[in-house]
Amino acid sequence: MIEIKNLTKNYGSVRAVDNLNLTIDKGEVFGLLGPNGAGKTTAIKVLTTLTKPDAGHCTIEGFDVVRESYEIKKRIGVVPQENNLDRDLTARENLEIYSMLHHVADRKRKIEDCLKMVNLWERRDTVVSGFSGGMQRRLLLARALLSQPSVLFLDEPSIGLDPQIRRQMWDMIRKTGIYGQTVVLTTHYIEEADALCRRVGVLSHGKLIALDTPGNLKNSIGEYVVEFIDTEGKLQQQICPTRDDAHKIAAGYAGNVTVRKTNLEDVFIQLTGERIE
Amino acid sequence: MINAAWYPVFLKEMIHFRRKLFRLGYLFSTMLVPIIYLIAFGFGLGRSVKIGEGDYLAFLIPGLAAMSSMNNSYNWVAGALAIDRIYFKTFQIFVQAPVKPSAIMTGEVLAAMFRGLFASLLIVAVGFVASPDFFPGPIFILTLFLNGFLFANLGVIVGMRAKSHEDTATYSNFLIMPMAFFSGTFFPVDKIPFLFQPVIQILPLTHTNILIRKAAMDTEAWVSLGVLVVYAIGLFVYGSRLIRNYSE
Repeated sequence: MIEIKNLTKNYGSVRAVDNLNLTIDKGEVFGLLGPNGAGKTTAIKVLTTLTKPDAGHCTIEGFDVVRESYEIKKRIGVVPQENNLDRDLTARENLEIYSMLHHVADRKRKIEDCLKMVNLWERRDTVVSGFSGGMQRRLLLARALLSQPSVLFLDEPSIGLDPQIRRQMWDMIRKTGIYGQTVVLTTHYIEEADALCRRVGVLSHGKLIALDTPGNLKNSIGEYVVEFIDTEGKLQQQICPTRDDAHKIAAGYAGNVTVRKTNLEDVFIQLTGERIE
Repeated sequence: MINAAWYPVFLKEMIHFRRKLFRLGYLFSTMLVPIIYLIAFGFGLGRSVKIGEGDYLAFLIPGLAAMSSMNNSYNWVAGALAIDRIYFKTFQIFVQAPVKPSAIMTGEVLAAMFRGLFASLLIVAVGFVASPDFFPGPIFILTLFLNGFLFANLGVIVGMRAKSHEDTATYSNFLIMPMAFFSGTFFPVDKIPFLFQPVIQILPLTHTNILIRKAAMDTEAWVSLGVLVVYAIGLFVYGSRLIRNYSE
C-alpha cells in the first residue's frame, strides 16, 4: 500500500505538488492523470526516492520514503519518463548492471525471461543507441521488472510511441498486474488511463482535483457529449446525462454534429476548464 | 564475479573504458599532453636545466606521471558523471538502487582511478625508454595509487556539484590547471616566491610530487603521505555525503 500525506514540493517559487493526499491499495493499477507540469513526475520522483519533499510524508508498504529509502529501493521498479538506459551498453549489459545493483538472484535466467517478455531477446547484444524509441521503452519496462518489484512506477510509459506499439506496451503493463504488483502510472494519454487503471487521480497545478474509477469520473459529469462546430469555426461541446438527451440536443443543430461517450479528458475540461496536452 | 556493492558501478564504467580503449584516438589523446610536455620541457628546455645532482628528465617523469594520473582520474569522472546525471540520467539508476552511497562513491572512484593509473603507466613506459636514471620504486607506485584515488574523489565531487557539463571545465581551470603548473611537476616548489608558499603547500599535488620522488621515507615524506591520506579520506566522505543527499 502507498500512502501520501500532505505532500508538498516546491522548485523555487513554483509549487510542483501542493498538499497531495492519496492512498493506493496493494495490487492496484493506479493512474495519475494531468497535463504537462501538473506535478505527476514530481510526485513519482518523491515516491521513488529521487526527490526529497519539502513537506508531508509518504510511505510504501509501511516504509518512509525519506527515512527508510533503502527499504523502498528494494521494493520498487521505475520506468522514468526520460530514457535513462546507458546508450553505449547493450541491452543485456544494461540489465546485468541493473540486476547486480538490485541483488537479483538467478540473474542470467531472469534477464533472459525479461528480454523475451518484451520481445528483445534476439537483440540482446545490440548497443542500445541502435534501438528505436519503442524498443528502448520496452527495455526500460524489462529493466524495471527484473528485480520483481512489489510496486512498479511507470512515468509516461508509452510517451512518444506510435499507436500500435503503445497498445503492445499496454498489454505488457497489464501482464504485470497479473502478478499482483501495485502499479502507479502517470500519463497524459486519456485512453491509456482508461485502458489500464482501476482508479485515476486527476492532478492540476500540483493539486489532486478528482479521484475515482474512470467510469465513475465520466458518469459524474454525464455519459454523452454532443460536439459541433459553431458559426465561428470553433469546436463546441455539450455534456448530456443520457444518450437520449444527447440525441435530442444534436437534432437541434444543423451541420456536422457528433454524439459520443464522455472520456476522461471531458472530465478534466469540466473540472479545470483546461485541456490535457 | 565480484560480489561487492560497488562492483556494478565500477563494471559499467569499465565497459565504457574498454570500448573507448579500442578506438584509435583514445590512447593517442590520453598520452598527447604529457608527451608534449615531455618533449618541450624534457628534451627541449630540460637539456639546459639541472635539478640538484640528477638528470632533469628523471625529475620530470615522476611529475608528469603524477600530473597524468591527476588529470585522467579527475577529468574522466567529473565530465562523465555530470553528463550522466544532468543529461543522460543514467546516474539515477545508482541512487534509486538499494546500494549505499559509499558503495556508489567507491565504484565511481575506483573506475576513475583505474583510468588515471592506466594513463600514468603509459608515461612510466615512455620514462623507461627516455631516461636511464628513472626507476619507479614502491613509494612511486603507492603515491600514484593514492594520487589517483584522491583526484578521482575530487572528480566525483565536481561531477555531483556541476550544474552543467561546462561547469566541470570551470572547476578544472581553478583546481587542476594551477596545480599542474605550480605543484612541482616541472620545477621544485621552493623556486616559487615565498608569498605563494602557503597556498602551494596546501595543494595535494604538491605533496604527491614530494612523495613520488622519494627513494625512502623521511620526515618530509611522512608529512606528505599524511596530507594526501587526510585529503583522500575527507574528499571520499564529502563525496559520499553528496550522493546520500542527492535530490532533484
